Amino acid sequence: MVMTIPTQSDGAVAPAKDGSTRPPAPDRGARDPAGIRGLIFLRDRGIILLWVLLIVAFSVWAKPYFGTFDNAKLIAGAAALTAIFAAGVAVGIISGVLDLSIPGVAALAGVVCGQLLVHGQPVWLGLLCGLAIGVLAGLLNGIISLRGFNPIIVTIGMLSITTAAASIVAEGYSIPGLTQLTFMGTRRYDGFPAPVWIAGALFVVLTVFLTRTRDGIRLMAVGGNPEAVRRSGIHSDRYKVLGFVISAMCSALGGLVTAAVVTEANPEASPGIIFTALTAVALAGVSLAGGRGSLPRVLVGALILTTISNGLTIKGIDPYWGIGVTGVLLLGSLGLEKWIAGTVSRRLVSSAQASVHTGTR
Amino acid sequence: MSPTTPPPALELRSVDMHYGFVRALDAIDFTVNPGEVVGLLGDNGAGKSTLLKVVSGAHRPTAGTLLVRGEERSFRAPSDATEAGIQMVYQDLALVDAQDIATNLNIGREILRKGPLGWLGFVDQKAQRKRSESELDRLGVRTAAMTRPVEMLSGGQRQVVALARSATRVSGEHTGVLLLDEPTAALGYEQTQQVQDLIRRMADHGIAIVLVTHNLPLANEVCDRMVVLNRGRKVADIATSQTENDHLVGWITGARASMFA
Repeated sequence: MVMTIPTQSDGAVAPAKDGSTRPPAPDRGARDPAGIRGLIFLRDRGIILLWVLLIVAFSVWAKPYFGTFDNAKLIAGAAALTAIFAAGVAVGIISGVLDLSIPGVAALAGVVCGQLLVHGQPVWLGLLCGLAIGVLAGLLNGIISLRGFNPIIVTIGMLSITTAAASIVAEGYSIPGLTQLTFMGTRRYDGFPAPVWIAGALFVVLTVFLTRTRDGIRLMAVGGNPEAVRRSGIHSDRYKVLGFVISAMCSALGGLVTAAVVTEANPEASPGIIFTALTAVALAGVSLAGGRGSLPRVLVGALILTTISNGLTIKGIDPYWGIGVTGVLLLGSLGLEKWIAGTVSRRLVSSAQASVHTGTR
Repeated sequence: MSPTTPPPALELRSVDMHYGFVRALDAIDFTVNPGEVVGLLGDNGAGKSTLLKVVSGAHRPTAGTLLVRGEERSFRAPSDATEAGIQMVYQDLALVDAQDIATNLNIGREILRKGPLGWLGFVDQKAQRKRSESELDRLGVRTAAMTRPVEMLSGGQRQVVALARSATRVSGEHTGVLLLDEPTAALGYEQTQQVQDLIRRMADHGIAIVLVTHNLPLANEVCDRMVVLNRGRKVADIATSQTENDHLVGWITGARASMFA
């Protein structure tokens, strides 16, 4: 929903009290022109529109197998893991860092949890230690980056360290038979597998955190302009570290859920997950420059990826095509976004009014 | 000083600032009173920026004293100056583009919701918007809806928001000092008018304002008094009404003899 704010509070600076020189700003009508509203709607909700279009197209094309509730559950289940990792990547980027250590942290968290379970420790302890690995890796990433090193290089280093650590902990082999974890892996609740509920809860919590709480809002602000935040008397460094920690915790959670789904903890980090997650994040229009982005849109981005591969699989088309289609969509969305941003700002400047709330964030 | 007149908002007494052998500031006396706009003029290298850095706590003067509301202070860091109620408004507009006006005005002093949600750190966005609206109302500023992201504002509106943000931060329990460095540098005619009006209105609210600029028409419009620096020395300190452009240009370029020579 795009909100248009009535213009009674609009206009330039009101005439000075001393009745000085300038006439009051003319009333410019209550709303933006329909064209601009449409463009901004497309920018903020375009990805949802795209998803709906995809679903409609596949429902017709892959009739009658695609458009069923059972297939929806399949898509949701397949999207859940991607979505969890995408949440980590998105929070990192929004707070101004691209965290590349995600696959390693995920592998290490899964393996540590697996080893504990194999050695007869309770499930809660295994999960807690797995998440603690995430917090620790995030803290290290953040604290090292604050020393003035490029976060990309730092997190690549952390990727190597955590991958090695995972192999060492697992002694080189995957840890099978983690059946204690099926409650958060393959078991279904109300028809949907557990990872769907976990991903859903994660997105609700993170969205509320980023848009409604003091620390979340500051975190986004730090991603946008750390200098402005620092000048407001806030320790912006703390929030940078917080971004790393949340990102790494999402990775650890993703690693644990992965281990639960396959009832096996694999020490091999799969760098592919970061690119899939990054694709979902980029589809959602999260700017790599930081400071902006909306998690609900990231969730839709992850859903689009699995919708495409699901639909093509039902039609018996090679999955390679799905990857290619995703790439085309991604580049297309970039082009569209640039065009919209350019057109909107040009029109806003020419009409000097912008009573539009971008909504989501 | 008689008890009836309040002390100056900011006073420098024979402040020196040396960089090695370079005397960037040489025995500068400078005052700005609450509600007064003082223009700080001078050519490049005259010492304007150095003076601002000393006042905003970025540099410590080599010698001399600095008084805020009559009390001697020494700033070790910019945060000390901020705490004393002195705010520098930077040219590059320290605003967060993607966030809306209310968030930008409230960051660092958020209002939390009452009850358990507040303990969890939930922000009361309605109350924040209301407070920002009333603060802007008091300054007579009507830029745009509070929920509009700053990136969707014109350059003038952004500068107005940046100024208002600083103004609301120095006018807490006491009114403070705003240091403006070329606030209209990138603005068009009408936008410059908006910013000028706002500067005057902030002064009407008792805020002391130091305005560094190369723009003589702007200085003539908004300043009550002008201080001209030349090679680290103060060469003129005169009410705007008692001077004219030719004299100012003479002092700035050094063609006219110092008032204090």
